[in-house]
Amino acid sequence: MGYEWDFGIVFRDFDLLLLGLVNTLKVTGLALLFGVPLGLVLALSRLYGNWAIRLPVGIIIEFLRSTPPIAQLFWFFFALPILVGIEMDPFRASVLTFSLQSSAFFAEVFRGGIVSIDKGQWEAAKAIGMDRSRTLRRIILPQAVKRMIPAFLERAIELMKTTTLVGTISYADLLYQANNIAQSTYRSLEVFTIAASIYFVVIFACSIGVRRIERHMARSGETTAH
Amino acid sequence: MEHNWDFSAVFANKQLLLIGLQNTIVLGALCLCLGLFFGLFVGAARYSRMRAFNWPATAFVEVFRNTPVLVQIMWFFFAFPIISPFEINAFTAAALGLTLNTTAFSSEIYRAGIQSIHKGQWEAAKAIGMGYVQQMRRIILPQAIKRMIPAFMNRAVELMKMTSLASVIAYGELMHQAKTISTIEFNPIEMYTAVAIIFFIMIYPAAMLVQRFEEQLRARE
Repeated sequence: MGYEWDFGIVFRDFDLLLLGLVNTLKVTGLALLFGVPLGLVLALSRLYGNWAIRLPVGIIIEFLRSTPPIAQLFWFFFALPILVGIEMDPFRASVLTFSLQSSAFFAEVFRGGIVSIDKGQWEAAKAIGMDRSRTLRRIILPQAVKRMIPAFLERAIELMKTTTLVGTISYADLLYQANNIAQSTYRSLEVFTIAASIYFVVIFACSIGVRRIERHMARSGETTAH
Repeated sequence: MEHNWDFSAVFANKQLLLIGLQNTIVLGALCLCLGLFFGLFVGAARYSRMRAFNWPATAFVEVFRNTPVLVQIMWFFFAFPIISPFEINAFTAAALGLTLNTTAFSSEIYRAGIQSIHKGQWEAAKAIGMGYVQQMRRIILPQAIKRMIPAFMNRAVELMKMTSLASVIAYGELMHQAKTISTIEFNPIEMYTAVAIIFFIMIYPAAMLVQRFEEQLRARE
């Protein structure tokens, strides 16, 4: 077992790993930016649309939730460009896949939050003369969103973990960089251990933050509905 | 651009896909069983007040819950063999990563389930002379497990999706077979569509069952 660890070689390429981390965060951030509003649209269509809207939206959401993200990524990277005749690069395919994939999950979070609001709120708003869209915007959503915050943040963390897949279509995220460095230095034990540690530090910090917020909200009586 | 859908090459490779499907199911079932089994012990250790149990179990759970599962699989495939006393192939690496990941997540389910049982149950069991193991086995777990079932089924659904990651280290599960076939037959559109549908057929009924079960449980309590 007498393996001699050598982290020096890894630290020489540390900036490459950090570059990978930046790319990981970039994909995660953009997917959130597109995924959250799209999720709201999907949730509202599923809740309040007529059946011609509800049915396809429901199918899309369930399909995105019930297939592996890697299958989706490959489909959007290898199949879609041929199908519709567009240029696709790894970055665009990644952002597209994870925006859509996370929007399906966010849609369910939105839906759970909206239906958790007491019916009396709708009735009260109606009684003072608000119409449905206004009630939704002014009364229901502000309360629902507050309850959803922990579920949202948890989903965002899940998303960041899932983006490790982008390396498989050679987008240079943290894991991809680690794999490259490991192949050129033959120090895979050190490289992958360091990469895993970087992921751990970032994700664990986020998790602790989310737990804090959860506890704070539980204390102030705004229990989550997920 | 008009695409002529042609699934004939997908059906021609039915045999390869079936092998992939079988490997997916074997990997998923094995990791689920092992993960749920070990998860009980890690969960009990997490619940324990003794530091010698509590601390290592907590560290284990936090590490595996707060790193991406693909990183775990890659670590076991590329890094672990260097210090491992035994041979690691793609299957063992994927099984190790997925089992330990499932162990960590299911231990939290056990812990939450056990914590949800009223303290009076422990005390009553103790009062009639049961030891810790007996209290756990006869009184607490039977009640707790019922509440945990939806969460476990959720885990199973997640795990089935995660098995597709084993394709990254070239374990011949469904996704990997599809990748191979599509490079030979030049039919990525049909191939990846077919695979997505197969996964959907496998996973969606389970996901729906979870939802139904959760609603039932909520209605009953």
